[in-house]
Amino acid sequence: MKILLISLLMLNISFASVVEEYLNTLKQEVQKEKADFKGFDKKRGEEIFTSKHIGKKGKEISCTSCHGIDLTKPNQNFFTGKTIEPLSRKTNPERFTKLKTIKKWLRRNFNDVYNREGTALEKGDVLTYILSKE
Amino acid sequence: MKTLTILFILFTTIFADDYKYHTKKVEITNQLYLEECASCHMAYQSQFLPKRSWNKMMDNLATHFGVDATFTKEDEKTIREYLLNNASDSTNGYGYYSKFARSISSMDTPIAISEIPKFKREHREIPKRFISQKGVKTISNCIACHKDAKKGLYKERNIFIPNYGRWDD
Repeated sequence: MKILLISLLMLNISFASVVEEYLNTLKQEVQKEKADFKGFDKKRGEEIFTSKHIGKKGKEISCTSCHGIDLTKPNQNFFTGKTIEPLSRKTNPERFTKLKTIKKWLRRNFNDVYNREGTALEKGDVLTYILSKE
Repeated sequence: MKTLTILFILFTTIFADDYKYHTKKVEITNQLYLEECASCHMAYQSQFLPKRSWNKMMDNLATHFGVDATFTKEDEKTIREYLLNNASDSTNGYGYYSKFARSISSMDTPIAISEIPKFKREHREIPKRFISQKGVKTISNCIACHKDAKKGLYKERNIFIPNYGRWDD
């Protein structure tokens, strides 16, 4: 019975999607600093995603400047005009399937909008918000 | 009629060859380069700039035209190798690519193709409103007017400016 339970648990872990696993890693990181941390919050994430800041380029932008408000629709890069495919997995199943890509864009885009790399808490919150908008 | 047909065939083969010649030489097949460098802008043909330009660009990815374009170490190495192997001074030079590259002074290390003297000359007659308009936005958005830019073709017959039409010098 115990073995069955353990193997089921293992199976469950391996079935968790890439982004869910990453959210777990981020959660553990936050818990190291804050033992009573409950979980990520999409409200805080929304504030991170929609609020404007003087970005790396010296212009006031938010994540929505390039990704738009409706995450199920494509939008244009604020600076280059190139189309950015939707963040929503519903309309763009490719999204959030590669850990390397998720990490890369969180790192880059926090730098672009906030002029610093986001904390584990901020990354978790904003990811939770994006995933909740599908 | 017969001569006309022969002429027609001759012309179409010449142009087809020209087409193939350019696209084959500058065609970007490196998947990593396409994935990594064409997510924010068009994948520019590396043959436009010399090795020193690509090195300078790859050394400053944290502030790549004001944005963070950093890679993992391995990806950075692979992409740098690709750019250096296909830079203007790594190839024999052909067509307008070599003309663009030759217009760069040996004292300069431009990191934007739009800084190349020949590029500036070629675009100086374009009214600013055509560039600032929605759908073009910036002079670096080649594909907005050069419809075959992705294939590496920048000839006049492939130019179509939004809200204006064909461009003739």
